[in-house]
Amino acid sequence: MMMERFEVIVIGAGPAGLAAAIEAASNGMQVVVFDENSRPGGQLFKQIHKFFGSKEHHAKIRGFKIGEKFLQEAETLGVKVVLNASVIGIFQNREVSVMLGDRISHYRANAIVIATGASEKMIPFAGWTLPGVIGAGAAQTMMNIHGIRPGNRVLMVGSGNVGLVVGFQLIQAGCKLEAVIDAAPRIGGYGVHAAKIARLGVPFYLSHTIIGARGAEFVERATIAEVDQNWQQVPGTEKDLELDTICLAVGLTPMSQLARIAGCQVADLPQKGGMVPVCNAFGETSIPGIYATGDVAGIEEASSAMIQGKIAGAAISLAQGYLSAEDFQLRYASYDHSLGQLREGTFGHENKGRTDLKTTDDGYPLSQFLFRKGYLADGELSHYPGVPTSERLNQELMPVIECIQNIPCNPCQDACPQGCIVIGSTITNLPAINQSAKCSGCGMCVVSCSGQAIFLVDVNYAPGYAAISLPYEFKPLPAVGTSGVALDRSGAILGEAEVISVRKTAVMDETAILTMKVPVQWAMSARFFKQL
Amino acid sequence: MKKPMERTFHTSEFKAQADDSLIICRCEEITKGEIRRALYDGMSTINEIKRFLRVGMGLCQGQTCNRLVKGIIAGELGIAWQDLEVSKPRSPVRPIAMKIYANDGLVK
Amino acid sequence: MYRIEEHPILSAFPKGKLVKFAYDGKTLEGYEGEPIAMALKANGVMVHRYTSRHSQPRGVFCAIGRCTDCVMIVDGMLNVRTCIIPLQEGMKVQTQDGLEKKEQDD
Repeated sequence: MMMERFEVIVIGAGPAGLAAAIEAASNGMQVVVFDENSRPGGQLFKQIHKFFGSKEHHAKIRGFKIGEKFLQEAETLGVKVVLNASVIGIFQNREVSVMLGDRISHYRANAIVIATGASEKMIPFAGWTLPGVIGAGAAQTMMNIHGIRPGNRVLMVGSGNVGLVVGFQLIQAGCKLEAVIDAAPRIGGYGVHAAKIARLGVPFYLSHTIIGARGAEFVERATIAEVDQNWQQVPGTEKDLELDTICLAVGLTPMSQLARIAGCQVADLPQKGGMVPVCNAFGETSIPGIYATGDVAGIEEASSAMIQGKIAGAAISLAQGYLSAEDFQLRYASYDHSLGQLREGTFGHENKGRTDLKTTDDGYPLSQFLFRKGYLADGELSHYPGVPTSERLNQELMPVIECIQNIPCNPCQDACPQGCIVIGSTITNLPAINQSAKCSGCGMCVVSCSGQAIFLVDVNYAPGYAAISLPYEFKPLPAVGTSGVALDRSGAILGEAEVISVRKTAVMDETAILTMKVPVQWAMSARFFKQL
Repeated sequence: MKKPMERTFHTSEFKAQADDSLIICRCEEITKGEIRRALYDGMSTINEIKRFLRVGMGLCQGQTCNRLVKGIIAGELGIAWQDLEVSKPRSPVRPIAMKIYANDGLVK
Repeated sequence: MYRIEEHPILSAFPKGKLVKFAYDGKTLEGYEGEPIAMALKANGVMVHRYTSRHSQPRGVFCAIGRCTDCVMIVDGMLNVRTCIIPLQEGMKVQTQDGLEKKEQDD
């Protein structure tokens, strides 16, 4: 049988698939990537927020820009990316069947990489089939790819990172985020992601589930209610919300059908999101020559997917004789270390599902208030190394870093030209203020923090007034002199505030630094400016 | 199911529940009640239920409802859903028009 | 009403030229090349079809061509996934009712 042969067939042009393709191609291999969508990049091009991690993890770069870089690299290396190509089956001897246009084609490969990603989990409720109920991925596609607002008044169901990040993006797109709800008693995603939304006044209803959506032809109202520890509805706690969009962000599950068709051994693992092919440390499944990488091998983040892809690409290169054993060992050690870093911390692999953590790895108290409310209580701040002492705050302009969970992330450290911020080699450490450095007020830390958790506070701005600088990523950008109100971390209005400076340069990559003047007693509580 | 099912299950009485009208399989419009009832109507395995009701056989091929269906069946049988036998995915994993399926590069 | 005029992060959304198309007998405008569903949404359309069994309204759900809730009749063809098929000038888009056209407006 005559069948076109490739050295490597990658299924899925998302971050994992592209990373594997680039790695293999960089070692001289002939690679083709099939993707069923009309655009490559998987979920990457929908991500408009700055990524976490360290420089090697593309920290502080927006997801879609990482995607653009990947595509360019793939093109330069001669990787063939075929779009609108659905792989419909994997058969014996690494044969792949592809539906492309109006025909089926068959290809053979020396190695196959399954990088098909994940699909969204569902929770059914009365009225969930009404127009207006959409997946969180759908909201991102509509807003960030097509420039369409999914609706005007949105309820976000799910408080994991997807719900929190997409919730913020809905607000950036001009929607009103009515609430974020979660059946769990704690917020599932990063505290900083929750805080970004909380300070805008979005309420979190934890231990709440959606009872139903109503409307004649599309969503017009929804009812939510509290649930107890047995997930049973608590009578009398129903709340009726008027809205037009309900966004589901209740988890992802691997799309592992192709791996199962190929005959790979699979395991149903809740911590990985569902049924995953069983792989070794290099991403190889139980079938020699077939690899699985990225979310399909276990739900993580895009940053992890990219490294996993590189590991698989390197392993294939070794197996096929394009990489020496020594070179492979060096690369693998570096990639494995990088991947390991991303899997540490408060939300790391070892802590997955844990609700009993009380301290950070470096010995600071983990704010339980933050888990329950989405923001830090005023009185908690002084515990943390990124918050200056009152003595220092009274003397000079200081950065205030409200980042208090162990997240592998350090662009703030690199951002400060004065060396004011210290994290160290363990990138999950809480950022600390360097007591011997002097803040120049440049605001680069404010702009570089992907969690938007850094503020500049100058209690001596003027008699009775403090100046607070904060990251601002909304339109319209208020002009200098604009009057408005200052909001605290919970989004409650403190009182009058005035914009005294707005800085936005190309290097800030769309994060403006807005400085507002507030009465000095609010210096450590005012954290957002709202134009009236 | 991995564990052999008690025949007595088939003769016990189906009790209606408040959320039986909830749509589970969006593509084929199959409700929770219909899925639960299938177990009392002589279905013993996920594959049988799939073929009888068409859950998971619509245009999305179970992508949206598979996990929900497993959970409902396991709940009704009172077993852990990991103990349910999985329905095997088969090629083609995406819906495909017959004329395209027949337009196969290998078949001349 | 649903087009994002000014996005704080994204400078521009790639758009073809503004074209006219037909939706259930009405003339609407959208951008050539954008998914039909997005052009409809920009015009405030929520319902794409009614289901076969229970005649329930459905619209965009996954937006990536996977769930098939957004399918409509386009230029006479049934079950067209409007969230991924690009809009072209003069297209005739109709609400799908099960497997039948909802309005007879030939």
